[in-house]
Amino acid sequence: MKKKISLFVLATTLTITMLTACGGNNEIANGGKTQPAGGNESAETKTLRFATWDTGDALKIQQDIAMKFEASHPGTKVQVEAYADGFDQKLAAGFGATNPPDVMYMWDFPTYHQSLEPLDSYASEDKDLNKEDFYAGLFNYGTIDGKLYGIPAGFTTRVMYYNKKMFDDANIPYPQDGWLWSDFLDISEKLTDKTKKQYGFGVRAENDTYDLQGFVWSNGGSYISDDGKTINGYMNSKETAEAIQMFGDMVKNGSAVLTGGKGQQSGEDIFKGGKIAMWESGIWPLESFKQAGIDIGTVEMPAFPGKPVKGVVAESALSIAKDSKQKDLAWEFIKYYVSNEAIKMRVADLPVRISVVNELKKDQDPLYKPYYTMLERSDNTPAFLMNTKWNEVNRQLSAAVEAVVHGSDALDALNQAVKDSERYLK
Amino acid sequence: MAQTYPQVAGELTVSFKPKRKRRWGGVVPCLFIFPWIFGFLVFTLGPLLFSLIISFFDWPIVGKVRFIGLGNYVDMFTDDPLFWKSLGVTLKFAALFVPLNIIVALGLAMLLNQKTRGSAIFRTAFYLPSVISGVALAMIWSWVYSGDYGIFNYFLSLLGVQGPDWLNDIHWSLVAMVVASLWGQGSMMLVFLAGLKGIPKDLYESASIDGAGMLRQFVSVTIPMLSPTILFNLITSIIAAFQQLTLALLLTGGGPMKATYFYAMYMYENAFKFFKMGYSAANAWFMFLIVLSLTFLVFKSSEAWVFYEGEMKRKPHKKSKPDGRRRSA
Amino acid sequence: MRKTIVYAMLIFCTLLFVAPLFWAVTTALKSQSELYLFPPKWIPSVWKFGNFAEAWTVQPFNLFLKNTVVVTLMSTLGQLLSCTLVAYGFARFQFKGRDFLFLVVLATMMIPWEVTMIPLYMEFNYLGWINTLKPLIVPSWFGSAYFIFLLRQFILTLPRELDEAATIDGANKLGILVRIIVPLMAPSLILVGVFHMMNSWNDYLGPLIFLNDQSKYTLTLGLSQFKGMFGVDMQSIMAITCLISIPPLAVFFFAQRYIVGGIAGTGIKG
Repeated sequence: MKKKISLFVLATTLTITMLTACGGNNEIANGGKTQPAGGNESAETKTLRFATWDTGDALKIQQDIAMKFEASHPGTKVQVEAYADGFDQKLAAGFGATNPPDVMYMWDFPTYHQSLEPLDSYASEDKDLNKEDFYAGLFNYGTIDGKLYGIPAGFTTRVMYYNKKMFDDANIPYPQDGWLWSDFLDISEKLTDKTKKQYGFGVRAENDTYDLQGFVWSNGGSYISDDGKTINGYMNSKETAEAIQMFGDMVKNGSAVLTGGKGQQSGEDIFKGGKIAMWESGIWPLESFKQAGIDIGTVEMPAFPGKPVKGVVAESALSIAKDSKQKDLAWEFIKYYVSNEAIKMRVADLPVRISVVNELKKDQDPLYKPYYTMLERSDNTPAFLMNTKWNEVNRQLSAAVEAVVHGSDALDALNQAVKDSERYLK
Repeated sequence: MAQTYPQVAGELTVSFKPKRKRRWGGVVPCLFIFPWIFGFLVFTLGPLLFSLIISFFDWPIVGKVRFIGLGNYVDMFTDDPLFWKSLGVTLKFAALFVPLNIIVALGLAMLLNQKTRGSAIFRTAFYLPSVISGVALAMIWSWVYSGDYGIFNYFLSLLGVQGPDWLNDIHWSLVAMVVASLWGQGSMMLVFLAGLKGIPKDLYESASIDGAGMLRQFVSVTIPMLSPTILFNLITSIIAAFQQLTLALLLTGGGPMKATYFYAMYMYENAFKFFKMGYSAANAWFMFLIVLSLTFLVFKSSEAWVFYEGEMKRKPHKKSKPDGRRRSA
Repeated sequence: MRKTIVYAMLIFCTLLFVAPLFWAVTTALKSQSELYLFPPKWIPSVWKFGNFAEAWTVQPFNLFLKNTVVVTLMSTLGQLLSCTLVAYGFARFQFKGRDFLFLVVLATMMIPWEVTMIPLYMEFNYLGWINTLKPLIVPSWFGSAYFIFLLRQFILTLPRELDEAATIDGANKLGILVRIIVPLMAPSLILVGVFHMMNSWNDYLGPLIFLNDQSKYTLTLGLSQFKGMFGVDMQSIMAITCLISIPPLAVFFFAQRYIVGGIAGTGIKG
């Protein structure tokens, strides 16, 4: 027994000795190098950490912007941290351990806003920002409970892409703004040829309910009441169900193909292969469609008869972490990032500044024009900004939408989702 | 000098009988296992206890931490259909994957154990998928499985069969995941192969002289001699099956209709999509207990079927001979 | 006849394992317009070897390679040393609490990383190791359960007579381990080395969580940079995958004959 105790003491002592030894080594090893985690700022160089989810060319642009900022701010290093697909995980770890990046890309404000610095005073006091130059409404997406948490840096609306060659081959005229969903269904059916594995349209197997809101609004429906308190009678209304049922029906009757979920062969891939004639998305795949040699056109979303077309905006904003120790520098960086000069460099999505758009005449280009007409139509507030419990509700709604594209009846599925969600809203 | 050990095949009998005092009883073994103890105390125990503690809290990562006692556990069992759903999916996956994985890996290892030319090439080819990183692996599989444009269905169509849209078909997607997981069995096959090479040739020779056929040799020589390796692969397979996440995350996202919504994925989403860290920790501890008890059961049962030559000092010759020989002798 | 069947099965299985990868290689070599054809085009009409160089240079992959090599070598070395010691301790000694401790070893394999990740991150952050390669290297020097278990299983199959003979010759425990056991389990050590190398080389989550600055990134993190939230650069992913698979594959090719060559030839007879 005694022996065991002494052994335990020995082991513990050894452990502690080694632990302290390791700790000591570590300090020595770190001493010579530049500070890694951004905790203490040495006198000469300040390191600003900037986290983004962008990859590829879009990431390159951001690195360029960061470099320009460094050039105009001597003694500052911007460490661009590209989290790509692991964005949420990295932020979780960073916030969880109170070691988040100073500045970060942001869209999911309801989830993160408690860890973000309110930017109202910065935005209103700093005249250089020139808030009026931004498209009206973009600031709403970063506002929670009346407080602003993010400055818009880029955005996109959703349009319909079409493959001109496939339309030409079938002698079908290109769709025009103002077309109806019935026209769309008609075209889709005509362009479907099962023997060639060719389809008029692709329906995502896993939809982001956020993106579907445009269709729901266009049909006069909504996920949630205007005060953000009720979903019964909204999420399962006739209009909402109709809009979602339409996609389920297209899969059922074969005029659309079900395209893979995340990481699978996506609808974009099949569109690039010339097997889907029409595809609905934001601006993200535009460049890759061109590179794949597809002759594409864009058109605004179809309308339901007698109802105005509505759209939804996907925005990338910049936020500052509450735990950041250099918020003024962070603000300087954000300000530069949304300046005319930097916004012009961001070609992977759409410019947030009206003056830049006017200067580049982006909204005159027929390929880009539909994004701007859709922007004018995007004046509804998305559901996730209206209820703090939306995440839970959305889990049920997503399951319902998935059930519909796999053949369930939309009204049944949505009724079920409302039933399953009610307990979160109490 | 020689130490005698009780014949404890499973090596995990926890007995309270006083053990004989031995010269090396205390300090030396601890020096050997010290690195692990140190690593455990420093890198594992802390985080582990932390996760246990937060499982009693409502910890949304961003926002306020609140003690809720057993609330997470109660919610999990009584108020969360996804918990049961994902547990079912994982159990189904494990029931398919674990036996198949062992059979396939052992089969391939035995195939590679044959004397052939170019065995180095074949071994490398069989191991190849295990070298590919997860991101690319998922992408490759999505192109193999795609319903209309997939390589697999293309080959099936050459045979006149119309295959389903594997990953988007509620009935097939889990099977597709099992097959994709089996494809990366390289490490397990290699462990088996190393084990097979370790079986003394003369055991087979004497069995063969005794007139044992191939099946008989397999049952009475290969299986017992390989049993420590089988035990290892069985346990690591079970653990792998319960932790299966990468493929689901990258390939199906848990769909269609939650058909591949693994328990690990459920945990992952609770933690990083819904930021319910405390709840996710409760999920994790429940799974931990399940896997631990399964492992414990396997170990207990292994006393009956696992055979260690190194532990056979007293009567090595009789036991290590195949049954066939003893019977005919 | 039997040989023919064996060869036929070997070749069939080889095709099963290699065909999808063959597709991956040709994808990397295709031109954009041939990527998404159906029925799939197996052989590109123009071989664009430039795709490889392009994907490699679009990001500092040479730097990523250097980081990965450092992490892999350092951690593999640590893993081999520590796991040998620990496995030997568990396999050849009888001490109070051994079985319980070993159960704990196994249990550590079953802990899902989702829950330990954030506390571990906090700990490394406290030590100042975030955004260094240390979190990817140092823990390996204290053994990992999978390899301890693997080596223990191998040591247990070695006859104890060998230890005893050496003990009579006056060797101490460490001497036995170094002179008797390690040579005998060389194949399984190489096996462990190869396994850990593959894990470390392809590790994605560790680097993702613990590294921030691109100059510290490993190859898999570089690879994941082609897969964003809104799109995937498939060709570059395939090209980089092919390139970064070559070193581990070469290591495996040279190591495999030692892995499988081994134990039977060491003179252990039944």
